[in-house]
Formats: sequence, structure tokens, C-alpha cells
Amino acid sequence: MTLAEAIFLTVITASTPLLLAAIGELVVERSGVLNLGVEGMMIMGAASGVAVAIVTGSSVLGVVAAIGAGMAMAALFALLTLGLATNQVAAGLSLTIFGLGLSGVVGAPFVGMQRAGIAKIEVPFLSELPLIGPILFRQDPFVYGSVALVAGVAWFLWRTKAGLVLRACGENPVSAHALGYPVLRIRFAAVLFGGACAGLAGAYLSLVLTPFWTAGMTAGRGWIALAIVVFASWLPWRAMLGAYLFGGLIILQLHAQTAGVRVPSQLLAALPYLLTIVALTVIMALRRGGGQVAPQALGRPFVPDR
Amino acid sequence: MTLSRRNVLAGASALAASTALPMAARANDPLGVGFVLIGPVGDFGWSTMHDVGRRRMEEVLGDAVTTTQVEAVAPPDFDRVVTTLARAGTRLIFTTSFSYFQPTLRMAEQFPDVMFENATGTATRDNLAIYNARFYEGRYIQGVIAALKSQTKQIGYVAAFPVPEVIHAINTVMRGAWSVDPEMRIRVVWANAWFNPGVEADAARALIDQGCDVLCQHTDSPAPLQLAEERGIHGFGQASDMTRFAPNAHLTSSINNWGDYYAARAQAMIDGTWAPADTWGGLDSGMFQLAPFTNLDPEQASHAERVVAGLRDGSIDPFAGPIVNQAGEEVIAEGESLDDDAIRSMNYFYQGIDVSMPG
Repeated sequence: MTLAEAIFLTVITASTPLLLAAIGELVVERSGVLNLGVEGMMIMGAASGVAVAIVTGSSVLGVVAAIGAGMAMAALFALLTLGLATNQVAAGLSLTIFGLGLSGVVGAPFVGMQRAGIAKIEVPFLSELPLIGPILFRQDPFVYGSVALVAGVAWFLWRTKAGLVLRACGENPVSAHALGYPVLRIRFAAVLFGGACAGLAGAYLSLVLTPFWTAGMTAGRGWIALAIVVFASWLPWRAMLGAYLFGGLIILQLHAQTAGVRVPSQLLAALPYLLTIVALTVIMALRRGGGQVAPQALGRPFVPDR
Repeated sequence: MTLSRRNVLAGASALAASTALPMAARANDPLGVGFVLIGPVGDFGWSTMHDVGRRRMEEVLGDAVTTTQVEAVAPPDFDRVVTTLARAGTRLIFTTSFSYFQPTLRMAEQFPDVMFENATGTATRDNLAIYNARFYEGRYIQGVIAALKSQTKQIGYVAAFPVPEVIHAINTVMRGAWSVDPEMRIRVVWANAWFNPGVEADAARALIDQGCDVLCQHTDSPAPLQLAEERGIHGFGQASDMTRFAPNAHLTSSINNWGDYYAARAQAMIDGTWAPADTWGGLDSGMFQLAPFTNLDPEQASHAERVVAGLRDGSIDPFAGPIVNQAGEEVIAEGESLDDDAIRSMNYFYQGIDVSMPG
């Protein structure tokens, strides 16, 4: 395997959990809900996934459990923000703190245990092709799943009536409600989907990337996913680009260090975050004259007048 | 009742009598011992082994001690955590990271009645002791074994922060490697974290992709070793025996053994003999041990055992001169050796190590 192939493969590995979490949060925010609890849902997915996988001996059940845990956390958030119309920012932050603590309790019995990671899917013959073979045809199911998810979300949001309704709930929930659409139920479904994606991202961390449980293993990836959604201007394919760009920068700064680039490692490590800030600034500056970038009702509670 | 001198004295006497009994009882209460950990107990490395040490202390001293442990304490939270422990009556506090050394100095001043012990610190105070193990002896052995195993002549090192402990470890690994093969080279990735499995795994991938076929780590998760297993190369565990994480890749681990030290220091507190000490134990002290050598052929294992024996009896000195730094300046001449203070404050790489100092 050439160095270029190896770097590409590592970039994909580093980017996949970011993409999974970001695409879920993108749908949530498109519906007008801001869930800052991605990190909490993600780590609960990681803890539950590895716990169930170890207990049952099945990685598939582990993934299902991770999705379920993410959705359960999301349902709690939805209960607070949609059912009780509490502040979404406060509820999201609380969800992250709660998730980090609860995951430690859930994962405690499984500290020190490990299991084999989920195997890669190798497409016969095609995986042997130079350069593109290993990158496109020798990946784990999560990688293929994440790309399919992006395509599915893009199609849903822009090519279906249901997607249009969901976006309407994020832009003008009052009008959507006046037209007879159940805004809160639609938002609830979106929040659950976001939780499922975050749980799936967590499962990737504890079942593929580093196949064991340890407290705090998400290490801020949930926050990066939130930044990617903004970076992507709430567009699915751009979110994919953002996730791969961010993952690429993380990996390239490590390779720059190994290659002996004479730049402080702290600066190299900060580079992905600095470039995100620059990108966000540029996007906002370019869009300033052209109307709203974010869904207009993002973060605002909606209480239908009954 | 009118307030008179007699009434005040009588009241004071009654108060003194009422508090005397609890004070006497308090002297026989278990000693409150606190532990502040830099990582989670489940890091499988540094913090895991401090927790093992704490439990060993409890086992040895039984009801004579009661322990409170706070894990994954970020340095900005340190003061708050220690203040809480001190105010709760904890009389001996172990702060288990170099990242806590400066804050521990500050807290020791603030709570003169509490005794502090900092792992890997560099100075003592009236109520502050420091303790460490000479892990560099293990690093020297790792360098020797790495040179015996490597085909590419490249060692990969997942480093945490550019602090003296990590710098002298990298230097010592290379000194050990050069004792076998002077052509050995090292590549370093700074993870800028003591514990972050995802970053550690990515760092290991980068090192392997760049041609390193033996990995050393100064971070605490088994992720780099697992990557070594996955990619068919070799590596060393950190702080605990990590054989089970990589049965085919693992060569050895330095195993931190703090339990007996913790028990002795707590017993000294109970006996009233605690004094600020500077403890730095080597292989012969039992403060760290080597996991059994694995995945070495008999000749390689025998070579490694000879090096272990040499370190134990002092015939091998990892810091014997001549030592020349990257700038070409002689740090210490032939026939001399760096003293402990010079090792502890090391802020340079040896000549031949093509690694830039971050920051």
C-alpha cells in the first residue's frame, strides 16, 4: 500500500464518525431544533454499543443498541424542548453533561474488556485496484453507510414532500402549523433521527476505531460535528465535504509531524479548528447580502396555539 | 443570663469539654487519603495503575484509611477539586500528574495542614513530597528491543506533551536502540493529550504509514498497540501489562506499581513520621516492573535480559557521557553522568534524533 493510499484510508476512518453525527444534526437543525447534546448522545452510543456487543457477542446488536441509546437520549431532549418548550441550548448542554456521566456508569463494568473490531467489506477484484481499490472497495460497513445516509438525507430534504415539510418547520413553523402539519411531531421525528445518527457515530468509535470502552472516548467529536453543520450551511453534500476536510486536516497534521515539518505541533493540531473558523467567517461574509443561511426558526421553541 | 466574665468562662469550659471527646475520637478516625487522577480510571494505563495502587493501599491498611478518588480532572479544575478534598478533612492528597505540579505547589501553600504528594514533580516543600519511578530504564530496554525487532530501522513514538519526562524518555529509547544499531531512527507524533484513544490511534496510523514498524507510546490507552496488532507490526504497552490487547504485537510493558509506596506513605502519616521526600525508584525498587517479554526469539529475549541485569547492577547507565544535543553542544563529557536534576529538567533532544521540539 502506498503512503497516499494509507493517508486516504486514515482520513476516511477519522471522518466517518464526524459525518455520521453531522448528518443527523443537520436534519435536526433543518427542522428548527438546535440540539447541542450531540456529544452526550454519541458517547452513550459508544458505551451502549460496546456493552451490548460484549454481553451478546454480536456487533450487529451492539450497533442497534447504540442507535437505541442515541435515540433514547434524543427523546429525553425532545421531551424537554418540544414537550415542555424549555431552552434548547440549555437542554442540549445538559444532555451532553448527562451523557458523559451516564456513559461512565453504563461502561464501568466493561472497562478493560475488548472485542474484535467490525471487519471491512472487501469487494473481490475491485479492492485490488491500485489507489482507488482500497479506498472505495475495502471499507467497513459504517463508511458505506455514512455515504448512503448523506445521499438519502439529500434526496429526502430536497426531493420529497416530507423533506419540504420538515424544512418548512425549520423556516416558519407557524405557517406549517397553519397548513395543518404537526410541527412538534415532525420535529420529534427529526430529533430522534439525529439521536440515532449520533448513537451510530458512537458505535463506530467503540466498535471500529478503538474497539474497547473508556470514559470520555468521544473526545469532543460531537462539538466538531456541530461545527461541520454550520460550515456546511445546512447542506448534506457540503456536510460530507466538511467532515472529510476536517478529518483530512486532523490526519495531515499528524503526518506533517511524522515527516518532521518544523512547525509547532500545537499549531498543527489547532489547524483544523482555525480553518473551520476561517471557513465559517468566509461563508457568513459571502452570504451576508443574500438572506438567511441558517433555518430561520432554528433554536426557537414552538408552542402551537390549540 | 447576664453576660459576665464568669459566665463566658463557664460557657467556654463547657464548650471545650463538649468538643474534647469528638477531637479525641477524631485522632483515631481513619486517615482520609485523596487521589486526583489526570485520566479516567479506565485508561488501561497511568490512571488505571494509580487506582490499582490505591486499592492495594486499602488492602494493606484496611480500616486505618478511607480514600476519595477524583478521576479525569483537567488542570483548570484542579484547585476546586483539591479545595473540596481538603475541606472534607482529607489529610494526605496524591496528585498524580506532572500537569498538576505547579497547582500542587500552590495548594500546598494554601493548605499547610494537608500533606501533598505529586507524581513526577521536581521540588519538595514542607508539606509536599514528590515521587516517581525511573521509567527511563524501561524505555532504554524498549529501545534495545525495538532495534532488535525492527526491519525498517524506524521507531514510532506517540508522545503526549513536550515535558522533560517525555523528552528524556525519547532520548533514552534512542540511546537503547543505538546500543544495538547506530542507524536506528525515530519519528514522533505529539498527541497533545495524555489520554485520547482516537488521536492516539490516528497518530499510530500516521507513524506506521510513514514506515515505522515498532511503536512506543507515552500516552495511556492501548489504541496504538491495537493498531500495531492490526497492521502486523510490534509495540510496547504503557504503564500496565497490555499483552491482552495485542497478543501478537506486544513486546513488553513497563508496569507501574504504586501500591506499596502509597501504603508506606499513608502509614507514615498514621505514625506521625511523614516527611517531605523525593522518591525516585528504579527497577530494583519495585516501583515499576517489566511485563514478561513476548514475541521475541530466545536470542532477543536473552539480549534484553542482559540489559535488564545491567540496568539493575548499574553497569549500564542510560545517561552516561558523552551526550551531545541537537545543536552539537556537549551536555556532559565522557566519564561523567547526568544527575537527577539534569534528567528531570531535560529540554533538548540528543544529536541524531531528527525531531523538532514543539512550541
